[in-house]
Amino acid sequence: MSGSARSEIFSRLREASRGETEENIQRERLSLGTAPAPTPLAPENCQAFILNVLKNQGSVDCVSNRSEAVKAIAHYLYAHFHNYRLVAGNDPRLAAMPWRDAGVLPRFGRLEAGEPVALSFARLGVVETGAVITWTSKANPAANNFLPEHHIVLVDKNDLVPTMEKAWERINHALETTGRPRGINFIAGPSSTADIEGELVYGAHGPHRWHVVLLGDIPVDAQNIARAASKDQS
Amino acid sequence: MEQHSDTFLDNASEALKNSGQAERRDRIALFASQIRTAAIDSFEGFDDLRHHVKKIRQHSLDNLDYYLSQFEKEAVHNGNQVHFARDSEEFNSLVLDICQQHDARRIAKGKSIVTEETGLNSFLQSAGLNVIETDLGEYIIQQAGETPSHIVSPALHKSANEIRELFQQKHDLGHRELQKTSDLVAEARNVLREHFLQAEVGVIGANALIAENGYSMLVTNEGNGDLCANLPKVLIICTTIDRVLPRAEDATAMSRLLARSATGQPHSCYTSFYSGPRREGEIDGPLETHFVLLDNERSNILSSDYREILECIRCGACLNHCPIYTSVGGHAYGSAYSGPIGSVLTPLLTSLEQSHLLPNACTSCGRCAEVCPANIPLPDLLRDLRHEEGIKKLSAPRWRYGLKLHSWLARHPSIYQTLTATSIRILHRLGRKRGGFSRLPFASGWTSQRDFPAPQENTFMQLYKAKMKQNNER
Repeated sequence: MSGSARSEIFSRLREASRGETEENIQRERLSLGTAPAPTPLAPENCQAFILNVLKNQGSVDCVSNRSEAVKAIAHYLYAHFHNYRLVAGNDPRLAAMPWRDAGVLPRFGRLEAGEPVALSFARLGVVETGAVITWTSKANPAANNFLPEHHIVLVDKNDLVPTMEKAWERINHALETTGRPRGINFIAGPSSTADIEGELVYGAHGPHRWHVVLLGDIPVDAQNIARAASKDQS
Repeated sequence: MEQHSDTFLDNASEALKNSGQAERRDRIALFASQIRTAAIDSFEGFDDLRHHVKKIRQHSLDNLDYYLSQFEKEAVHNGNQVHFARDSEEFNSLVLDICQQHDARRIAKGKSIVTEETGLNSFLQSAGLNVIETDLGEYIIQQAGETPSHIVSPALHKSANEIRELFQQKHDLGHRELQKTSDLVAEARNVLREHFLQAEVGVIGANALIAENGYSMLVTNEGNGDLCANLPKVLIICTTIDRVLPRAEDATAMSRLLARSATGQPHSCYTSFYSGPRREGEIDGPLETHFVLLDNERSNILSSDYREILECIRCGACLNHCPIYTSVGGHAYGSAYSGPIGSVLTPLLTSLEQSHLLPNACTSCGRCAEVCPANIPLPDLLRDLRHEEGIKKLSAPRWRYGLKLHSWLARHPSIYQTLTATSIRILHRLGRKRGGFSRLPFASGWTSQRDFPAPQENTFMQLYKAKMKQNNER
């Protein structure tokens, strides 16, 4: 059925098509250029990224090194759960974190029922949208991104890209070497719905809360924005 | 879904009687319009973006055979099986076949307007499968046995109280009262979480297909589509052949338009790209993935004067800004697609004979064209369909003769002006004391809802001529 359907559909499409050569089609697409992106919320990348994460109803910590990152995560876990447990994918970057510095007890693997917190290490962060980008692999089970009550995401400052176009440049480059994953996810906030009378509610299916830990040499102004927002949120 | 666009007028009259729904639609229309405007005002180059995406869409459709073929090749390379369906019947059978090959009983489904178009749920259910919609709005209307009333917010017509009563009937709530909206959401979350974990097949839609790498793009806020795509052992991605874009960056450029136009957000929470089964070493994800691509007249629309309708990105902005849609709601249209986009698309997907009333559901106010992020000239396409309706003599004889008379008068301005001047003078004299009419012959549709204001003594043309004469005398 599908075979004859395919040839019939393609035959109709060919009739409607301009019948250009591949070279001409590629040339025409190239001539259309790149889409305009919105003006950044701030001139500096970290600052603009943090502002967008906050607009997405996420919370942010800025840390300068891995030891501080672990401490910030420990603080978050204790504030919300009064314990130091979380699940993290088998990502070598996560395994290499100095967890003992803050007494955090990660279980490495896929989130199981009853486990409320998962940690991911983002491949990229998009300044334009305040989104983090992960892709599925043995180091990043999909369940860890979509099933926990709280999703914590580490983002390296060096992995911030200004726009989605720049993100695709980096993704395409990475995929050339590692092969294509089955899923690439741009995540920008906790799961939400406004399907009942337009009222916005968080935690529709996935995480109720979404916490970003930005790692690296973060400018003071950006740190101040994150700190002020953190005070407001608490 | 079952079409009943032929009873649009009765459906609309019935809908107008439900004041609760009308009030909710008024509120949403006002709110949706404000948040869209705010989102667009904060994006300086929005019109340039609109223009850019339009060019990309046109280029994709101009070369659809090339890009669809490229998509198919790349998707197969990524490990997917790609199927093509000429019509709804073939589409539904393909999906059922895949489910049956895996002895699937439980299907977790994300929002997909294409599957509403084909009536997939009822088809699978009649074969004994348990299909659960997982988008909250879709879940609510599925439990209520209804169809979506809006392409973005399917349960727009239902109040929180109605949803509470529905859950009380359908769920085992015990003593829980679900007073707040967040309680209702949490209840659905708990019920659906179980279903996600047990389903053997996940079905999702796609906002775009990407030719260069064979991925689909899915945009949601709830994340239900991602659970459907990642938890069951088999994933079926259902969409139509016209959704292909050349590059991944074209899809995300489109998502910039989509979120702002649909919900006033700069972007949605989840923008996800899927292609293929779990890779070596992965511990979750589907073991088998399929794309089922529907034509259903689209390849014919591509060759027609209506091809621009295929550039629609399904944001729902035209619905939110349409005075007819916001008055009568989506159910009145009797089709999966409602509002201005539905009034163009439904006759093209079915037949003008079945759906000719829909292009008349238009006041020609032009707001839909103003807000359409894809720059589709919806009022022009609606007018062209009405023109075809006239040629085919599908409308009621009194409408046709009325329009003929109007057309004749419009071509004879002196007679037109004499007649309007006479009738305006009579109406002015009769109505000047009260200032308006509570009843008028041939205008009961107007006067049953509101008074008709008495006109001033002269017509515009009389005033204009007098003014010109005055100017010339000076």
